[in-house]
Amino acid sequence: MLKIIILLILLTFSIFAKSFNFTEIRYSDAIEKNIEQKGQITFFSNGIDIYYPETYKNLIYKDNNLVYEVDGEDKELGGIQEQKIIYYLDLLILLHSGDDNVISNIFKISKYEKYMVLLPKDEMKNYIDKIELSRDNGLLKYFKLYLSNNDSITITIDNEIF
Amino acid sequence: MKYFNYLLLLLLLVVGLIFKEHIHISTNLLSLFATKETLQKFNIADKLGYSKEMIVLVKGFSSESKTKVETLATELKKLKYINSVDYKISPSVEMKNYYKDYYPILSDFNSTSYTKEKIFIKLDNIYKDISTSLFYTNVNKFNPLGLFVMKQVKKNISHKGNYITLGDYGYILHISTDVSPSNLTKAEHLYKDVHSLLDRYNDVISFAPFYYSVENSKKIKDDVNKIIILSTLVLLMIYYLLLKNLQLLIHTIIALVSSMLVATYISLLFFENFSALSLAFGMSVTAVSIDYLLHYYFHDFYNSSQKIDKSVLYGYLTTVVAFGVFSFIPIPIISQISFFTVISLSFAYLLFTFIFPYLEIKRYITDRPLYVSEKKISSKSIAFLSLLLLCYSFINIKLDTNIRNIDYQNIKLLEIQSLLTKLNNSKLKPIIVEADNQVELIKRLHMVKNLTMNSFSLANFVVTKKACEIRKREIESYDFKKLNKNINLISSEIGFKDGYFRDSYKFIETLPPCELENFDFLQPLNLGVYQENKKFYSIALVDDITKIKNNFKFVSSLSAKDIFTKSSFQMYEDLLLYSLIVLVVILILLFLSVKVNFLYALNYIIFPVSITLAILTSYTAINIMHIFSFIILIAIGIDYGIYMSNSSQPSNTILAIKYSILSTFAAFGVLIFSTIVALNSIGMVITIGVGAIFILIKVMK
Repeated sequence: MLKIIILLILLTFSIFAKSFNFTEIRYSDAIEKNIEQKGQITFFSNGIDIYYPETYKNLIYKDNNLVYEVDGEDKELGGIQEQKIIYYLDLLILLHSGDDNVISNIFKISKYEKYMVLLPKDEMKNYIDKIELSRDNGLLKYFKLYLSNNDSITITIDNEIF
Repeated sequence: MKYFNYLLLLLLLVVGLIFKEHIHISTNLLSLFATKETLQKFNIADKLGYSKEMIVLVKGFSSESKTKVETLATELKKLKYINSVDYKISPSVEMKNYYKDYYPILSDFNSTSYTKEKIFIKLDNIYKDISTSLFYTNVNKFNPLGLFVMKQVKKNISHKGNYITLGDYGYILHISTDVSPSNLTKAEHLYKDVHSLLDRYNDVISFAPFYYSVENSKKIKDDVNKIIILSTLVLLMIYYLLLKNLQLLIHTIIALVSSMLVATYISLLFFENFSALSLAFGMSVTAVSIDYLLHYYFHDFYNSSQKIDKSVLYGYLTTVVAFGVFSFIPIPIISQISFFTVISLSFAYLLFTFIFPYLEIKRYITDRPLYVSEKKISSKSIAFLSLLLLCYSFINIKLDTNIRNIDYQNIKLLEIQSLLTKLNNSKLKPIIVEADNQVELIKRLHMVKNLTMNSFSLANFVVTKKACEIRKREIESYDFKKLNKNINLISSEIGFKDGYFRDSYKFIETLPPCELENFDFLQPLNLGVYQENKKFYSIALVDDITKIKNNFKFVSSLSAKDIFTKSSFQMYEDLLLYSLIVLVVILILLFLSVKVNFLYALNYIIFPVSITLAILTSYTAINIMHIFSFIILIAIGIDYGIYMSNSSQPSNTILAIKYSILSTFAAFGVLIFSTIVALNSIGMVITIGVGAIFILIKVMK
């Protein structure tokens, strides 16, 4: 009986939370270089968890609260920095959710064979020129954020962690 | 002459049809009870958008709630009369542009000079940050050394993530509209649009001040219509059953309708916002004029050679003088009703006295002997009892200072409003700050900001002219050209892209003016500036109004409760003063009319007043409409007092008064069924009062 309960709990977790290995490439126009980072990302029903194993740093955004941990210890983020990260994570959750109704409220969507392009409609266009997005079987595969200062951020989902 | 009554009504109806488009009856009850000064304040707040904001609450903080917020915001923005929808903490485009223009003025400026070494260290750190930081580093190419640091404006809002929230309830959308509570057409349009949109969603609540106008207006109109119909039916029934004279009934109704029409037309000419409530009430008072007709009819005045009946004339004059005095009171509702009453009673008196004798009305004949009861109690005892009751009342009396209590009590909206107040963590209250010019206004807003711990106003966003000029001088004395040159040289050495910092600190070359031309960017926050009659106004939200008011004379509270409490004290003072004048006039006229029977006639005033006051004070607080109704009760009582004191045919007079009481009860008694506290209060006073007069007729010697 206990085994069945544990199995059910594990099954429930696997339904609501999905974890992936990912690669992040940031291009900085100021130094004309790419900076690469690898990490693990977990999407759950009310938030997101991003873990960078090389530096033991963790970002947990749950129920609208952001926690930043280094080596398991909570660290303070500045007000503006925290807002920017939340903004970015909200966007990531939205793009992962694939709710086209909400996405179309904020972006103009152009769909192509293998990817789609999102052009911001509101004040977001002051920071973001466009977003390229690709999904496979409804799951986020990669997205590239073209920032208005010529920088860019690309996230590529490498594989799902079971 | 026989058909004059019909022709007159026809003429008045034609006049009404011709000017139909110009007839506008207001349903804004609160404006009737507010003083001119109060209305002016609300008008300024209205212009500043304070009362034009709409709020939509979405329950919960789940992803579904966020989706709902996004969808609602998109849908709401499409509606007519909606200017903007704010639901995220990110500032508006206008606000961003303002911050961009005024960045050097609003920021903290570090004016220490930068050596080449210091520049190297700073830029090298940025380079390392870009290469190694976990988070994306946004390089500010215009201000790489961080000489200017923008202070974060403490906003009057709570949030979760980027979404604005209200307490533990959920997300909130602040919607700026074009609709003020006084503009009913626009209000009804937006109300309909918003509700047809929101009805499709669960767990969504909305509120705007103009909701009261739309919902209350409908309720008030329905209520007034119901009362007019009910009152008319009861009156028709009573007149027909009692008089049994169809010809007289028709003429009486025509005369009353004509009087009401004349009074309505003239009142509309004199008052800009003549109210539906004044109209309903004025119509009820007009029915009192049936006294004159009944007295004439039962005393066979229309078949006698008499031109004038002195009792009726004195009764009419006393009533008209009393209401005439009240028509000058600076309380809109009382002056409107009094003015209407003077016109309608005068017109009805003229018709009943000078036109009705030519209408060939049949004489009153009865086969029933008139019963006159054996009276037991002396007028002195009645006066003594009345005084005792008055003493009891004055011990118990409590005044209701919240004028809002006499408006229609819209429970649903009041509950939403109280929920919003409960959930709102910010306990800031609005005040209006005024000045003779814009520069002084900003200075005063800063004085307010500096005096109180928590405040939110234009001063959180705009610096004073003096502070701006000091900053400009600091910037002008700093060598930014040299700094730019060094930054570009050193950044290339470190490894930055060539020319990446080409425009660093060039934004200081065009500094904005120290006097702002407009404050439109603050409009979504309702913190703009409004100019009227060479005065400048703005709203500030503060936590301690009393402290601010004690220190500065240029502020006034905008809290509805404070304003109406202050205004109600003023009203009670005005009402007391005018009531005293009216009372003195009435007593003089009463004495002149009845002379030796003064105490007997006086009982018709003090007895009904004391009984009614004693009953009311034992279970409720007395409001301004109760007090006004007492004046009407006095006016009714004085008529009966004069008729009874001067009567040569007491049995006929008693009959006339009994019928008159019944008609007064029908006209005012039905007001008890009104859900508007103002009308209900009048109904209570008059019903108890005329009941007391009825008892008096039976028992007083």
